Amino acid sequence: MSFRRTSRNVVLGAAAWVVAGATVLAVAGQTIQVTPLAREGRVMVSFHLSDGFPVDVTDAIHSGLTTTFAYDVEIKRSAAFWFDRTVAAATVSASVKYDTLTRTFSVSRSYDGRMDRADSTENEDVVHDFLTRFDRLPLFSSAGLEPSVEYYLRVRAQTTPHTSWALWSLWDRHDVAGVAKFTYIP
Amino acid sequence: MSTVREFQPRPKLPPRAPAPLPAPERRPFRDNPRLILAGIALLLVSLAVIIRVSDRTTQLNPDFLSEVVLYALSIVDVTMLLALGFVLARNVIKLVVERRRGLPFSRFRLKLVAALLGLTIVPSVLVLLAGSELIRQTTTRWFSQPVSDVLTSANAIAGTFYRDREDAVAGQASRLSAGVPAQALLSGDLDALKASVSGPVMDGRVGMVEIYRLQPAEGGKMDVVPVVALQSPSLPSGHLRASSDRLAAKIAAGSRDTRAHEPLDGGGELVRAGVVTRDGSGKPIGIVIASDFLSGDLAQHARRIAEAYEDYSQLRVLKGPLEGVYLSLFVMMTLMILVSATWLGLYLAKRITRPVGMLAAGAREIGAGHLDHRIEPETRDEFGSLVEAFNAMAGELATSQRRLERTRIEMERKNSELDERRRYIETVLERIATGVVSIGPDGRISTINAAAVRLLDVDPGIVGAPAEQLLGREDLLPLGALVRSVTAGSAKPAAQEIALAREGREIHLAAAATALQGDAGAHEGTVLVFDDVTPLVRTQRIAAWRDVARRLAHEIKNPLTPIQLCAERLGRHFGGAPEPTRALVEECTTTIVGEVESLKTLVDEFAQFARMPAPRAVPCNLNAVLTDTLALYNGLFSQIQMDRRFAPALPPVRLDVEQIRRVVINLVDNAIEAMGGLQAGPRPGGELPRITIETQHDAGNAVARVVISDNGPGVPPADREKLFMPYYSTKGRGSGLGLAIVRRIVAEHGGSIEVGDNVPQGSRFVIELPC
Repeated sequence: MSFRRTSRNVVLGAAAWVVAGATVLAVAGQTIQVTPLAREGRVMVSFHLSDGFPVDVTDAIHSGLTTTFAYDVEIKRSAAFWFDRTVAAATVSASVKYDTLTRTFSVSRSYDGRMDRADSTENEDVVHDFLTRFDRLPLFSSAGLEPSVEYYLRVRAQTTPHTSWALWSLWDRHDVAGVAKFTYIP
Repeated sequence: MSTVREFQPRPKLPPRAPAPLPAPERRPFRDNPRLILAGIALLLVSLAVIIRVSDRTTQLNPDFLSEVVLYALSIVDVTMLLALGFVLARNVIKLVVERRRGLPFSRFRLKLVAALLGLTIVPSVLVLLAGSELIRQTTTRWFSQPVSDVLTSANAIAGTFYRDREDAVAGQASRLSAGVPAQALLSGDLDALKASVSGPVMDGRVGMVEIYRLQPAEGGKMDVVPVVALQSPSLPSGHLRASSDRLAAKIAAGSRDTRAHEPLDGGGELVRAGVVTRDGSGKPIGIVIASDFLSGDLAQHARRIAEAYEDYSQLRVLKGPLEGVYLSLFVMMTLMILVSATWLGLYLAKRITRPVGMLAAGAREIGAGHLDHRIEPETRDEFGSLVEAFNAMAGELATSQRRLERTRIEMERKNSELDERRRYIETVLERIATGVVSIGPDGRISTINAAAVRLLDVDPGIVGAPAEQLLGREDLLPLGALVRSVTAGSAKPAAQEIALAREGREIHLAAAATALQGDAGAHEGTVLVFDDVTPLVRTQRIAAWRDVARRLAHEIKNPLTPIQLCAERLGRHFGGAPEPTRALVEECTTTIVGEVESLKTLVDEFAQFARMPAPRAVPCNLNAVLTDTLALYNGLFSQIQMDRRFAPALPPVRLDVEQIRRVVINLVDNAIEAMGGLQAGPRPGGELPRITIETQHDAGNAVARVVISDNGPGVPPADREKLFMPYYSTKGRGSGLGLAIVRRIVAEHGGSIEVGDNVPQGSRFVIELPC
């Protein structure tokens, strides 16, 4: 939201904020490709956030801000007349901290708050993959899944800190989401 | 008789039970000064927190700033906006509804709220716009191009310096790696290895050299085994070998990141660079890591430059959220002002209109007569004083009203008593036989009672008419003269006996006129009082006649016997006289004796009239007495029809049977004689001669009435009063004492007898006897 637009919107009222927020979100244009795989008693999750580095995120990383890509991964089952039931849920986070002096990126990953790995690199492509590409993460046990039942895997991503703001992000603060259906066959 | 009542004091009411105290009503927020002060304090604290938060905004964690503060402020803004909208909409709708209903002060409240909102919304929005522009300009100044260039250049210089040092260390590591004998590394010949790298370390070109040997491990990986570590004496202590181990392992794993930095506890940092050592065939056999020390000041300055650049860059990245925070703060303050203004407007409106409305409602209650209505003072300000004054006024009104009520009740009681007395007096005046006429000072008749109406034979509606209209009548002229005699200035009552002719009868009135005078002696009217003294006069006359009769009987009867004896003696004496003489004497003596006999009879009747005994009255059946009496006439006067109409339920009447029989016989004889006796013929209208004897019972007046009427020639009105006087007769014969005796008998039975016309002709005698 630009400064000048904000000033004008103050006069017009809060309704204009919603419009401005919608504009910000429309620019994002990100997608998540999700691939579930049930094997050996676990549900492997692979997902990739494409176009995950718009200018504001790149600027945030290069400014030295600790930037986190948080992914909420859920296995859900559709319900006809009610909200879809969440079968299992996990949170995957990947953070990066850029040292502008040494030009080194310090990256780390954690699953449900548990640190998995940390590294540092000067290669930005490595950092991009580290933050946005996750392969076969054994996040869930398939014990709770019913055979031959269709589920869908939903991955919602958000990048923090937000460098922009939208009024309706008060309701759902995720930037982008991806969904993939699968039928559990043991 | 006066019926003045004693004043009855009011019965004392039982002591009033104390009313249960109402539950203390919880004061609303707007009426609780403590809560208002607490609210203002909370508002000020909120403003202080807002100012504090805005002051420290740049120091806040970016995540906290963009994820918590900004959204919290946004939620608060939206909430306040909704609250303001709700409060405004609610109150606007309420005010509009109140105004449509015509409730008091709705216009005033609407105007006050609108005025306060208008006064606050314009400057608030202006401040918001100005503040927003100020924020925009300020943040723009933060990120001015010169500052950006300086920081970027400084950071580039620092980075170049670091890069140069890294390159230098990396070059040393490459040179050292090239000099490391492969055989010594593979065999673990430490002396040879140290000798190969000791030169640069000892002369200070490199701070520290560490040599690792690569050993194949499971899974095709390579383990790194530290072999030699040679350190310059000038290198500060405090470095960790783990850092070198991690870098060596990373290089062994094939990473292209061959450089690392290790901050030291004593300041400064180590710049490390690693190079893979290969044997003659190019196979990696080890890793050489060279480290060089960057002094503390140098590293610190470079780090500060980098931090300043990062802070600047982060600030620029977070410009949007920062502006959002500041804007939200401004919006929040604006909304707080607007909410406060709205609330203040409503509060002031209520504070002003509520007491006034309560006063108006109280005035309506007082006007409706609810003088016990009081208003609870809610404040101690001028409105409180006004309410207290209103309550005091209501209290005084209630006291006055109670006093007036008591006075009214007392007045009503007195009026009722006066009314009763007036009615009593009016009743007495109406019922008494004395005629009373009051004449006002204006000469008009004020009151006239029934007796006066009857005695003077006037219309009761004459009240209000000039007195002269009544008293100027010819037969009432004597009364007029009497009234005029007192109204002419005489303060003394004037009394006079006046005879009036009424329907052919003469009535005697004992009249007295009294002039009414007020306290100041002013003429306030005249009262004329008159009594019908006709019976009294009649009684006096009868008494006089009785006395005359007695004297006559005594004075006349005594010489009659000697006269009669002398006449008889003369007749006997001249019995032997010559015929003419004897005839003359006999004729004379016979005449004398006959007249003496007549005189004796007359004197006897007079004597009887004078000596009539008092009646021995006993309860009798009047109808039976009349039946027995009338039975004497059976078969005697067949040409005269004699009707009997007796009342069936006549109560017993106390009477002397013999005297009443004499009364009846006298009246019936008179009627028969008036109609011609045995020679009675049809009446002029063709009717048969008829005598009707009837009895009536007047329960209201407690009298039994005997009516004897005939269709004879009747009694002229002029003769009716004289008819009952002794020695008055229309027959030209007899003593004239019959009807006098009848009246006396009836009078001594406590009754009365009147004569009138029979309809269509004849006379009608009505006897009333008490029963």
